[in-house]
Amino acid sequence: MSTKQILKLDNVVKKFPVGDGRYFTALKGINLEIDKGEFAGLVGPSGSGKTTLLNIIGSLDSPTEGKAIVMGQNISELTHKESAKLRNIHIGFIFQVYNLLPVYTVFENVEFALILQNVSASERKKRVMEALEWVGLQDLADKKPDKISGGEGQRVAIARAIVKKPDIMLADEPTANLDAKNAHQIMRIMKKLNEELDTTFLFSTHDEKVMKYLERIITLKDGSIAEDKQVTPQKTLK
Amino acid sequence: MKLAFQIAYKNLIGSGLRTWLNVIVLSFVFVVIIFFNGLIDGWNQQSLQESIKWEYANGYLLNNDYDPNDAFTIADGHGHLPDSDTKNLTPVLIRQATIYPQGRLKSVLLKGIPAGQETIALPTASLDSSHANIPVLIGKRMAETAKLKEGDQVLMRWRDKNGTFDAADVTVHRIFDTSVASMDNGQIWMPVERLWELTGLHGQATLYIADSDFQTENFDGWNFESQDELLQDFRDLIEMKKVSGNFMYIILLFIALIAIFDTQVLSIFRRQKEIGTYVAMGMTRMQVLRLFTVEGAMYSVFGVVLGMAYGIPLFIVLSRMGITLPEFYQDMGVNLPRTIYPVFGVELIVLTVLALIISATLVSLIPARKIARMDPVMALKGKIQ
Ligand SMILES: Nc1ncnc2c1ncn2[C@@H]1O[C@H](COP(=O)(O)OP(=O)(O)OP(=O)(O)O)[C@@H](O)[C@H]1O
Ligand SMILES: [Mg+2]
Repeated sequence: MSTKQILKLDNVVKKFPVGDGRYFTALKGINLEIDKGEFAGLVGPSGSGKTTLLNIIGSLDSPTEGKAIVMGQNISELTHKESAKLRNIHIGFIFQVYNLLPVYTVFENVEFALILQNVSASERKKRVMEALEWVGLQDLADKKPDKISGGEGQRVAIARAIVKKPDIMLADEPTANLDAKNAHQIMRIMKKLNEELDTTFLFSTHDEKVMKYLERIITLKDGSIAEDKQVTPQKTLK
Repeated sequence: MKLAFQIAYKNLIGSGLRTWLNVIVLSFVFVVIIFFNGLIDGWNQQSLQESIKWEYANGYLLNNDYDPNDAFTIADGHGHLPDSDTKNLTPVLIRQATIYPQGRLKSVLLKGIPAGQETIALPTASLDSSHANIPVLIGKRMAETAKLKEGDQVLMRWRDKNGTFDAADVTVHRIFDTSVASMDNGQIWMPVERLWELTGLHGQATLYIADSDFQTENFDGWNFESQDELLQDFRDLIEMKKVSGNFMYIILLFIALIAIFDTQVLSIFRRQKEIGTYVAMGMTRMQVLRLFTVEGAMYSVFGVVLGMAYGIPLFIVLSRMGITLPEFYQDMGVNLPRTIYPVFGVELIVLTVLALIISATLVSLIPARKIARMDPVMALKGKIQ
């Protein structure tokens, strides 16, 4: 495994204003390093700060205190334009609700990520079809999101995130809306991408099924890391 | 920028009915604005032409003592030019008179003009064929107010050159129809030779109407007012009408823009997850701002395209066939032709297109700025209120 560092969080604190000049502290000094190629998950009860942490790593939000370095860049110091560029090039998001663009076809949804990178049309076509192949959806390329199933929708979302070959994929409860069969399929697809493309994955999940695939489990409790351990996955591609 | 156009186009086409409702409203506003402008332009041009044809020809040579705006100058405001000078000039002698239709008293302007004249469109030639003692022409409006028909006789009283009253019956030979109210209201036309006899003012004229061959010269005691000068008041009136017309267009435009604004503001709530997704995928604030501004502007572009699609054939038909107005509009005292042929100029259309697109862009900019500054975390959670 390569030792290239993807992210390093140094005493990250996140406070949300809750009125009357008071704050709610969602993250209480998080220290975390993730290297290239990891297949890691944030687990913990609801409200423990998983999503908040993913949002900071994805530069959609910034820490109140401490330093979050992603791809060598300090999130707090980025301009809007720089953080957009970081997301555009280095980060792929997968959401619990797939957030596909409803007026676009499956193909166009995936293509969108490349349009934002100014990739040429012919190159886009090649790479979108390749990404759809990874998730096994070549045949649905011309369908609109409302004409496909939930499992297929999440696979489109994976294709859309992976098509630009980001350094890290941030997946916030990607299986929460899926049945067991689809959840396993999604996890297998992601594990395969992790192995074949050496893409780093960071999940947030309560889902036992997801946890079975993880190689590292970071347990959050009340905004702090309660446990951080390497594990042997119970489920692999073999 | 190309990206914004691409995405905006897809979003608009993709959101179906909502888009088309806006586009239909905008196209309607576009067509109505152009229609009314074209109607007024056509009416104005026609009225100008009718005024030239019926009233002003190439200009007036006015007696220095006569002021068209002052009825008291009629009595003495007349004179005559030597015959050698009256080439290309048609004399008109104006007198004040009173008629008594059905015993009611009505003041009129009695106007004498050579029956053989062809300078203005007044159908004077027909007077020659009359066997009546005093044949006269009146317009439709005059006929209406005095309740006179062709062939009717009515008692008329006037003063001769010495101020002595005289009276006789005049016969309505013909009622003419003109859109130029100022040739009609309160006026009676008769052959000028007859008026000279009735008043003893032989060879006298209050004014001369110049025909198109008339060369401007200086005549002692007379003042030439060119066609342009005579039409100036009319043109001023048109400008005023345009200003009040613009007010209506601004209101129409305002309605259309509210539709766009409303859609854009709704987008802040309805499309927040989509917007959050754009940001998560790496769109910059500037790109989001552009996208939503272009979307708003694109409504107006679609509106213009749709408006042209049904508007242009409509405009072509209307400008050929004209719009025929119901009878009662004639009684409003304005120079309203029976059939108006609207004129749809390129300038009018281009300006309307620009006004629509520019204002739609500006109106979209405000909500688009708000959208671009959204907190992406809140937007993705759908929690923006
Ligand atoms: N904008 C905010 N303002 C106030 N409190 C917030 C805000 N965002 C999150 N929180 C609070 O921070 C805590 C952590 O939220 P977060 O969404 O990160 O939890 P989570 O671990 O993702 O939970 P879940 O498993 O339910 O998704 C919660 O108590 C939440 O109420
Ligand atoms: Mg969460």
